[in-house]
Amino acid sequence: MKVLLSLSLLVFLAGVSFRIYGWLTHTVLTTDKGTSPGRPASALKGAVGAIFSGELVAIVKTFFTDVLFQKRLFSKSALRWVAHSLIFFGFIALLLMHGLGTGVSEFFFSDYQSTIQPYMTLRNLFGVMVLVGLGIAIYRRLTDKPQRVKSYVSDWLAIAIVGAIILSGMVLDSSQISSYSAFAEMAEDYGDITDPEELLPLETYWAAEQGLVSPNVAKPYDPALIEEGREIAADTCMECHAPAQSAFVSYSLAKVVGPVAQGLGEEGVVNALYYLHIILCLGLLAWLPFSKMFHVIATPVSLLINGVMGFKEPGKDPANVVNRRMIGLSACTHCGSCSEMCSSLMFYESFQNDFILPSEKVQILKKVAAGQKVDDQTLANLQKGLYICTSCDRCSEICPSGINLRELFISSRYQLLNRGIPETSMLSHFSFPLSLTKNFIDDHKIALKKLEQIFKDSFTKLKDLTSITVSDPVQVGTDSYQSCYACQRCSNICPVVRLYDDPVQQLDMLPHQIIFSLGIGNKDVAMGSQMIWSCSTCYLCQEHCPNKVELTDIFYNLKNAAIRQMEGGRA
Amino acid sequence: MKLAFFQGCNIPIRIEQYAVSAEAVLKKLGVQLEIVEEFTCCGYPVRNVDEKAYIIPSVRNMAIAEKKGLDIMVICNCCFASLQKAKNVMAGNPELAAEINELLAKDGLTFEGSVTIKHFLTVLHEDIGLETIKKQLVNMVTDLNLSVIHGCHILRPREVTLFDDSFVPKITDELVALTGATSLDWRGKLECCGAALGGLNSELSEILLQEKVDGARAAGAQFVTPVCSYCHLQFDTTQLNMKDQQQDKEVLPVLLLPQLLGLCLGIDEKVLGIEQNSTIEPLHVDNLKSLLGPPVEKKKKKRKKRPQKEAA
Repeated sequence: MKVLLSLSLLVFLAGVSFRIYGWLTHTVLTTDKGTSPGRPASALKGAVGAIFSGELVAIVKTFFTDVLFQKRLFSKSALRWVAHSLIFFGFIALLLMHGLGTGVSEFFFSDYQSTIQPYMTLRNLFGVMVLVGLGIAIYRRLTDKPQRVKSYVSDWLAIAIVGAIILSGMVLDSSQISSYSAFAEMAEDYGDITDPEELLPLETYWAAEQGLVSPNVAKPYDPALIEEGREIAADTCMECHAPAQSAFVSYSLAKVVGPVAQGLGEEGVVNALYYLHIILCLGLLAWLPFSKMFHVIATPVSLLINGVMGFKEPGKDPANVVNRRMIGLSACTHCGSCSEMCSSLMFYESFQNDFILPSEKVQILKKVAAGQKVDDQTLANLQKGLYICTSCDRCSEICPSGINLRELFISSRYQLLNRGIPETSMLSHFSFPLSLTKNFIDDHKIALKKLEQIFKDSFTKLKDLTSITVSDPVQVGTDSYQSCYACQRCSNICPVVRLYDDPVQQLDMLPHQIIFSLGIGNKDVAMGSQMIWSCSTCYLCQEHCPNKVELTDIFYNLKNAAIRQMEGGRA
Repeated sequence: MKLAFFQGCNIPIRIEQYAVSAEAVLKKLGVQLEIVEEFTCCGYPVRNVDEKAYIIPSVRNMAIAEKKGLDIMVICNCCFASLQKAKNVMAGNPELAAEINELLAKDGLTFEGSVTIKHFLTVLHEDIGLETIKKQLVNMVTDLNLSVIHGCHILRPREVTLFDDSFVPKITDELVALTGATSLDWRGKLECCGAALGGLNSELSEILLQEKVDGARAAGAQFVTPVCSYCHLQFDTTQLNMKDQQQDKEVLPVLLLPQLLGLCLGIDEKVLGIEQNSTIEPLHVDNLKSLLGPPVEKKKKKRKKRPQKEAA
């Protein structure tokens, strides 16, 4: 037993050290800036600096409100908060009172014994708390509709192991209640009762009222014997053994477990359950650093950092920015709160790319950071998912673990773009908020240049056309272009055209020329004109067109088509 | 009157003062706003990439409002146009409408078409009315010249946005006039701030912005008053970013309409978040406050002016 305990403790400590080492040395993507041997020192400096620079109040406050009370989760969802609180407080209470009973409980309560009150009832109560919490968690994962956030094996495994620990504990407890060998041993060891004259009434009483499944006495019990047994019990047992009913769940369970255990050989069953329970507990301990349960360590750290720094101001020390990124990845519990609030939710429905959802971005980034192989197609999807983002920062605001998702996503986005795979979504207005922040401005420009080149390669320009052919009408979402009567009002009113001395040179085609080219069935040359990517979408042309040609809408349609062609072209 | 406040993505995180000042003004005037957490992006940012992906989110947002039995109030022009466009498409394209409704059914939502999309300015101008606002004024300004920039997507295409006269809009001017300020006639009033090109063709975006800044200043504007959140970010953030590149540039400060109106309704400038506009300095606020006076005097002045005009 001690060997097992030591072993799992060693694995746990080694795992935690490894994870913390990872926080301070690993990077999300290989080109991560700020990677330096000074990261552990920076982390220490940052932490000590925060404590000694008047941030102590913020730290203590965050510890109570965010870490213990889970205020962020509370404001997100009361039900989830109830579930988490039940699991967390129930489990911690069990760990301290029962798991570490000899160390912690005895230290505070010198008369602590697992068989007396209130510990028997509390043990069951805490267990029920955890089970109810887990029940809510399972219910939520099954019924949340529509299920945009998928539950992974790791999510179910965490629920399963914690649940198995509690259930095995309760069944063990009930098998002990009903166990004859446990009864006989305790009667001899604690009560010093070996005389059959005394043992029989005690056994009768215990079978009648304390859940014992006895091989020697059977119903109907002799009331006189029960009374005699009750007196013996009161004299010798009850001082340090509360009635079995105190363990209200285990006692009820014993009625089912008892006969089964007896059928299987109750002594062996008790032993087997005992080892099962212990192995599950030690297993959780050893597995914890490598699972999502590591959040019990990482999330408080993340919340404390968030309490001091928030997410809006960029960190001063680039090494600590990377450190926080890594801690953040460990702190994610895959609860899906961010994805439920994600402003891009419906874009996920349109593009069916999991990585549009923030919670799924974190999952894959975790894998990347852990050095797992991720294929190019997945990385391309991740890159697109990182880009289909409105920069509304709701994910960072809501994250119950206080992860700076904004920083994580922006930095990952540009690191992926630096791989050189072009991202057509950069040609959307998602780029606008990025241009405001001036972060990664050079990376942004380089990535745009790549797109420009692809755009040039994908289409024939008007000036390169050798002959003009007339084809069938084109599909641009509307037929209104056919009404054009060539007054050129559109080009005359265009605020972009008027900016240039040589607009045709700069824009390839002017608005009216685009409409002309559609008129003769040449969509390709229209899609390839710089004009559509210089259109400010002000709608002046469309508004002023005497024949109601929907120019701006057509330009949008051409942009959509051009992007599709550029996407297809590079595959 | 109660409306669902559709803030979009930019306002809550980048222009909180726009939402707060609009809410404060409307509260004074008896309009209640409900923040609806389930609202997502309107879809506008993805329009260059995929038209259908652009329409769907707005339909969902409208369906959410319908479920709550509320009409929607919008500040941002691009959100406004997206919602109006989606409404227009749903009415005109039954096939797509059915397809989108099927998608929404996953969330237990369905779009009926009963919701009305109102712009903040329409709520002030039509639902509350100029006379009602006038009665509530405790201050008016004198000698304040503003360059209003309507932005594009609130006005055009007129068949979709259904807001004011797209060639000669009057709603904003009349609201500005209430405060005693002058909404200048200037070149960029109905034109593009360049935001739609920001980040994908930033050079051109900045040229368009600079043209507006120069135009407003040439017309004698003390402040620029953007309606759209994108215009706001161009003037209040991109303008400063451009100044970083070229230090000698003079910055034209931004004053939002609900901030000006709020001052005249007696709301504290701290509540209105005037100094949260990045282009505003304490000096600007002091100047603004020095222009405030009781509304009665201004009325007298107006009366004096009218006969003069007739005489001329």
